[in-house]
Amino acid sequence: MRLALAIGSFVILVVHGVVFYNQFFHDWERHQSAYFDQARGLAKTDAERAAITGRSPRIEQIIVTNFGETRVDRCTTCHVASDDPRFEKYAHPLKSHPFSTAMGDVQKNGRWERRHKFSDFGCTVCHDGQGRGLKPHYSHGEDHYWPDPMLGFVTQEPWRKEFLPKLKGKAYMEANCAQCHTESTFAGAAQVERGRKLFFTSNCYGCHRIEGLSDGTLGPDLTQAGKKFKVDYLWESIVDPRANLATSVMPQFKLSEGDVQALVIFLKSRKGINFAETGLQQYRARLQDATAVVQATIKPVAITPASMVQQGEKLLNDRACLACHKLGGKDGGIAPELSYEGLLRAEPWLFDHFKNPHSTVPDSIMPTFRFTDDEFRAMSAYLATLKAPPKLDTGAEIYQTLCQRCHGEKGDGQGMIAIYLDPYPRDLTKASFMNSKTEARLLDSIKNGVGGTSMPAWSKVLSDDQVKAVLSHVLTTFTKDKRRDLKPSKAPDTNPVMASAASTARGEATFVKRCAGCHGRKGDGKGPNALDILPRPRNLRNAWFVNSTSDRRLFESILYGVQGTAMPAWVDYGMTSNDVGDLVNFIRSMNQKPKGSQYARSN
Amino acid sequence: MSTATKKAEPSLMDAVKEFPGNVWSSLFRNPLPENDAERSATSFTNFFLHIHPVKVHRNTLRATYTFGLGVISFFLFVILVVTGILLMFYYVPSTTQAYDRMLDLRGTVAFGTYLRNMHRWSAHGMVAVVFLHMCRVFFTGSYKRPREFNWVLGVGLLLLTLLMSFTGYLLPWDQLAFWAITVGAAIASYAPLIGNEIRFLLLGDVNVGQEALLRFYVLHVAVLPAVLTMMIAIHFWRIRKDGGLSRPPEADSKPQLSMAPGEVAVTVRAVEAPNLRHYGLQGVVRGPLTKVGNIPDNSVFSWPNLLRAELFAFVVTLAAILVLSILFDAPLEEPVNIMHPPNPAKAPWYFLGLQEMVSYSAFWGGVGVPGVFVVLLLLLPYVDRSTKGVGVWFSRERLLANTTFITFVFFNLVMIIIGTFLRGPNWAFVWPW
Repeated sequence: MRLALAIGSFVILVVHGVVFYNQFFHDWERHQSAYFDQARGLAKTDAERAAITGRSPRIEQIIVTNFGETRVDRCTTCHVASDDPRFEKYAHPLKSHPFSTAMGDVQKNGRWERRHKFSDFGCTVCHDGQGRGLKPHYSHGEDHYWPDPMLGFVTQEPWRKEFLPKLKGKAYMEANCAQCHTESTFAGAAQVERGRKLFFTSNCYGCHRIEGLSDGTLGPDLTQAGKKFKVDYLWESIVDPRANLATSVMPQFKLSEGDVQALVIFLKSRKGINFAETGLQQYRARLQDATAVVQATIKPVAITPASMVQQGEKLLNDRACLACHKLGGKDGGIAPELSYEGLLRAEPWLFDHFKNPHSTVPDSIMPTFRFTDDEFRAMSAYLATLKAPPKLDTGAEIYQTLCQRCHGEKGDGQGMIAIYLDPYPRDLTKASFMNSKTEARLLDSIKNGVGGTSMPAWSKVLSDDQVKAVLSHVLTTFTKDKRRDLKPSKAPDTNPVMASAASTARGEATFVKRCAGCHGRKGDGKGPNALDILPRPRNLRNAWFVNSTSDRRLFESILYGVQGTAMPAWVDYGMTSNDVGDLVNFIRSMNQKPKGSQYARSN
Repeated sequence: MSTATKKAEPSLMDAVKEFPGNVWSSLFRNPLPENDAERSATSFTNFFLHIHPVKVHRNTLRATYTFGLGVISFFLFVILVVTGILLMFYYVPSTTQAYDRMLDLRGTVAFGTYLRNMHRWSAHGMVAVVFLHMCRVFFTGSYKRPREFNWVLGVGLLLLTLLMSFTGYLLPWDQLAFWAITVGAAIASYAPLIGNEIRFLLLGDVNVGQEALLRFYVLHVAVLPAVLTMMIAIHFWRIRKDGGLSRPPEADSKPQLSMAPGEVAVTVRAVEAPNLRHYGLQGVVRGPLTKVGNIPDNSVFSWPNLLRAELFAFVVTLAAILVLSILFDAPLEEPVNIMHPPNPAKAPWYFLGLQEMVSYSAFWGGVGVPGVFVVLLLLLPYVDRSTKGVGVWFSRERLLANTTFITFVFFNLVMIIIGTFLRGPNWAFVWPW
């Protein structure tokens, strides 16, 4: 017992010894003592020597209150010679901070004078890093949990190895210069300005919001990106959006390394309100018209009628359209192919789609980009010239070239861009659906497309024979099941119930009772059950779709259901032709207004 | 100083001369004891020692019987109070300052790192040791009559310890703290009917924020320690009132005496307590008989036996915490970022069993099962009324009870281990290697 007690006490004593040693013999004291020794040797006058001799090691700190939140920078405790020009050639931490005219430092009577005095600015305002730390590990170490690693100097433990060399360099500090120097002409923050331009020319603004700059809603708000994210995260998110979020819909912009770096620096400079701004200024910026902000940064191209097509082509290539769309050899893998757009869509349709994508494809995820009308016209004009049909022979070839991108290699509707489309592409392997429709109806969908969706009318690209060939390819390869003879349905060709306010009201009552569960109370296909259903319930406010669909087809779908989907045959639930007629009147009434729905603003 | 005159009239010089000795004897009233009377007096006349009985049973001192878990918990609590008070001098419960204060503690404050480390590891240690203490009490059947209520107090102390640790978890205001408390508070909200109200009461808001930080701080430094101290005092007091630590019945009946042949043991009188209107303190002593005189039994004097054992426990505890504090730094992650939850966000380890169960069923995992556990623990001494198997580890007579308890403990440990080591992003199962 006594021995154990003695051992225990000894351990306590030893640990206390270690703790006290660590507490009273700091690295920074050694650095300061070394500095005093050296400085005493370098001193030229007695006064200088006396000043040095009077100093003893202590924690130095600069408290900065002028720039954002209060900062406590204790960096000069180790970097004690940072303002002493005699230590220019010494090794860190006794090296003096370089003077540079670019930073505004001036030489007077052979003595340098700093523009950014350390006593006013501290260190972390420019460098980032942990001003409160007194050990290298805690002030600029590679600690994983390190909130602000020193910009451009420190890379951290878990960062992806292949990015590390790219994340170093003084340029990254420009992000902090831009906190005060907000003017776009400021030479010291050239990378920030370059990134800002890229943010607009690469169409980042279409999806991302940055307060005062852009109002996109598809992607995350980047107003405070620089505060929240470290440079490695920003870099990774740009070059490999799915690395952090497997469900990200952000395209991979094939940017040069310099461009990525400029964007990262620009985003790093987005820290919400910066030192140069007041809350009022930021509020004013928020009120600005988004289009005006974009066009102030990117000078709109002056379109001349003569070279309209060329200018349109250039715009399409320069402004990252092909980060999503496919055209020729370039493919962003997110949006439909544009190679035969001249045959698929008319020029006015293209213009409307550019102006407001929802006006033509109501559930499109394409953002509204802020080009001028002239630019949109030029781009439409260019797309309208793409009229060379592909040379395709067999049905398989046609399918692979034109259909596979959406409908998938296996015909199951899981093509590479399927997840970005709404409604999803049809699953062609579902025999119950495919075989419940007449061949004429299927051919019609291919030839004339499906209104209000991404399925275009292929009749100008493909001859009737080719359409038949691709359909037979689909039916034999994917659907497989043998087609049965279909009995002609008893559905009327036109709605026998006259459209009237009373009929619409009856239809609405039935709709709310019977249909709203899946199609939603608004009829937009987003009812409470919709999430569990594939294919998703039809959006009945898609005016382009509803208006291009015949009464007969609506009657068939409601009365006899849609096989292979969750839509039941309502005739089995006691619905009469008159009920359906009321429903059809109600559905059509939702999609009136000149030529479309609430989406079709430009029509 | 033997002459009578000096004794009668001490001069000023004598007072000065005797001053150190007098002060010493005021502070340390008894010299190192040499006989039983002095040993008794040492415990009896000292404020700090008189919490001990003058004599304790030999069984109480058997290291393998208690493993000192109770006193170790108490010593950890003492370490926590001392380091906690020192940390309070530097801490500000504000969302804008708390994290900076942590950085200051780590970087600049003298002994700051060690204070924080000691506080952190003692807190984790206390949760573990209190739990082990409960296991010891169960496996030795020590919760039985007359110690039922002390067991109930003990369960209360376990819950308070968990709450103390949980409220302290938020204070560094880093990502670890924020998301652990977010998860913990979410678990509380699964209580039926009043779950969301409990959560709101705890957080003072719908999210973890400034209000929650202030509430947790006040709970952590004022309310809970006060309640805990009070309950510890009652817990200790009840040990005395319940006749010391539990021991097997035969330990009392077989005094290990080494008497010379023919020697007569001390005469013992057993006096029937008279049923009087007026009675002295003896009258409230339990039992029909009051023992007067010195009966031979299996007890030894607290000084020095019990004190030495306690000192040993303290030295071991302190040494362990100090070594841990020097080897491992208390974690400090990035400052709170509400937009960037870690995946997975995990509660403190002692609640990870709950979180694991919550991942199967929110209500049953977060409220139902733990609620049933706590109620069962509280009811235990009133359900298990058998008096057999007290004072022996894993008594054969308590096979059913011990097996059931081990099953529960094992179940909880497995849940905690799964939750801690085997859960990765999106709470998916991962192997840690």
